[in-house]
Amino acid sequence: MIGRLVADVPRRAALALSVFFLVLLVVPWFANDYLLTVLILIFYFAYTGQAWNIMMGFVGQLSLGHAIYIGLGGYTAAVLFSYFGISPWLGSFAAMLLAVLCGAIIGFLAFRFRVAGVYFAILTIAFAEFARIGFDHFTYVGGSAGFFLPVSNYSQSDLWTLRGKPIMFYYLSLGMTVAAVILCHLMIGSRIGYFWQAIREDEEAARAVGIDTFRYKLLAVVISAAMTSLAGVFFAFYYNNLFPEEVFSINRSIELILAPIFGGLGTLFGPILGAFLLTGLAETLTAAWAALGVDVPGAKQVFYGICLLLVITVLPDGVWPWLYRRLGLAGRPE
Amino acid sequence: MNRKPHMGDKRITRRTMTAGLGASVVAGIAPMNIVRAQDATLKVGVLLPRSGAQAGIGQDCQRGVDITPGLLKDLGMPPLQIMNGDTETSVEVARSRAEKMISDGAQVLVGAFDSGQSTAIAQVAEQKGIPYVINIAAAPQITEQGYKFVFRNFPTAGMILADAFANQKELFEATGAAPKTVVFMHVNDTFGTAMKGGIGAVMPKFDMPYKIVDTIAYDPTARDLSVEVAKAKATGADALLMVSRLNDAILITRELVKQRWSPMAILSMGPGWYEDQYLKTLGKIADGPLSFVPWYDPNKPMSKKLDEALAKAHPGVNLNTNHVYTFEALLVAADAFKRARSTDPKALADAIRQTNITDNVSPGPGIQFNEKGQNDKLKDSAIQNRAGKLVTVAPKVAANAKVEWPLQPYDRRG
Repeated sequence: MIGRLVADVPRRAALALSVFFLVLLVVPWFANDYLLTVLILIFYFAYTGQAWNIMMGFVGQLSLGHAIYIGLGGYTAAVLFSYFGISPWLGSFAAMLLAVLCGAIIGFLAFRFRVAGVYFAILTIAFAEFARIGFDHFTYVGGSAGFFLPVSNYSQSDLWTLRGKPIMFYYLSLGMTVAAVILCHLMIGSRIGYFWQAIREDEEAARAVGIDTFRYKLLAVVISAAMTSLAGVFFAFYYNNLFPEEVFSINRSIELILAPIFGGLGTLFGPILGAFLLTGLAETLTAAWAALGVDVPGAKQVFYGICLLLVITVLPDGVWPWLYRRLGLAGRPE
Repeated sequence: MNRKPHMGDKRITRRTMTAGLGASVVAGIAPMNIVRAQDATLKVGVLLPRSGAQAGIGQDCQRGVDITPGLLKDLGMPPLQIMNGDTETSVEVARSRAEKMISDGAQVLVGAFDSGQSTAIAQVAEQKGIPYVINIAAAPQITEQGYKFVFRNFPTAGMILADAFANQKELFEATGAAPKTVVFMHVNDTFGTAMKGGIGAVMPKFDMPYKIVDTIAYDPTARDLSVEVAKAKATGADALLMVSRLNDAILITRELVKQRWSPMAILSMGPGWYEDQYLKTLGKIADGPLSFVPWYDPNKPMSKKLDEALAKAHPGVNLNTNHVYTFEALLVAADAFKRARSTDPKALADAIRQTNITDNVSPGPGIQFNEKGQNDKLKDSAIQNRAGKLVTVAPKVAANAKVEWPLQPYDRRG
């Protein structure tokens, strides 16, 4: 697999990737916890963006309800840990299984009955809303009052139970992001990836040449759901509380898709660059506002929105494809 | 969304890689690492949801922050260097803002109105060993985690409900009249459903004189509640038990007037019925409802000072829970700083643990924290709307007026 992964990567590119990875590995030695927290947030959005990108970027299926997988993943692992003492690593399998089931149901309903485009998007929102309202009344997990994981002051990190300091979550989020990029790289270069791209470009034509579009779209949904549920597990154990209003909300679904849209849909670097840029922009604005002595609530969000609007208007393909062209790089952006 | 992404060529080249990585690093890391040196004064990081869904409440809490420095000066307390932070009503932002404030030198954290955001901040505070004083957040779990640096001067959800029923019984005894039946109307959102569950669990312990004859839930975004009010009226209940928000409280009151139904009492267990906007919008028909909420003791000298300071800074704004508990959280920090004579977080946490402030604002014997960091001696109040103002009618020790009972019929208000 490793051979396949690096087979078409030039030696210098592989070297640059290694250096970058090493820099990220040693960042905790130099960074304070604030910077680590921001980087964790960046990796979280890069990872979830990569997961969502499988559906929208690779197969062209717009999901606006991906928060459902975050919530299902988070609640499943949190309940298994809090009530039964099951490690989140094992709980992750249950979380993925539940997310896959949910994704399969949504996908089956949508693709079996040819629900596509904005109607598919509305279907995904509807399922996320069902889940939110359902969990609001699910008293076993605290209902609307929220579910709290037990926490305490950890002098050491326990990787098995995911109880510990930000540095542990930093490496975990970094690992998840790297794994997601590798997985997506392998998938998009595989037979399945080509089928996905064919479906994205012209579903009728793909069907005409013999691609089982129902099967491959469903596959994209369940893979994306399983990956997103892992982000939910991470969310639950990092923040240690889950509220249906918070984890299943449409806001969260929108938040997840910003990085790939901003960075470049359907590309591998897009979600990563988008996550760095968006989180970086938000933090820069906060710092700049503070340095200028501006203390107007909401001003940052307005300026942030204007920046997003400008970038999306000027660069409809996202930042990474534009940057790629400006740098005069050959081929199509990765 | 209809653009076509490009994924045709999957080769990763040197230039691709270098450009992507370089852009990522420059964009993400460069602007963030701003760390400022500490100085000798106590730096207090105040985290509030001043934008996003909870912006209105966060900004109201901020009014409490803004009037605090002058009051602390009058009390002879050391000045605080307040660092304001906006959580943007987000758990993620709350956590990163807490980290940022600590890296910027905050020695005490205060906030954050919401239980989820407060939990996220509490973890950061605990891991860093920085004292964190919660102003408002009712989830009991926050102080059940064995934290050493987290303190809460606000009642838990259980305390709020228990006091609400206790205060109702006190009012019923004082008036010699009690409803035999109530109809329970609640907003069907997170807060409303949580309160519904809580009421169901706590009420049986208080042997209340009334029975809930019907429970009517309604959507928080409903623009017409005529059917719900008609249904409530049709039950023939003596009183109305409410858990609502602002807009629906206004809608329901208007329906009560239109449908000519004046119950014996309106007993509200949440926001809406005592808020400034409710009073200003409804004028005379706003009078009468009773709200059972964390409040302030109007008889305490400090309450008068706080009320005056607020009136001076924000004329027309009634003193409320948000101002009171935000002020008291900062008071706790200043008092600890004064006694500890140090900005060392551990010394400050030890000092906060020993807090015994009796010259305070909230009802009860004062501000003290138990071994869990919770002020479990806090009392809630029953307040009643009177001519655009709010008076406290229970508990007796924190009351400044007698309850007007029963509710004056809406059709006899001139």
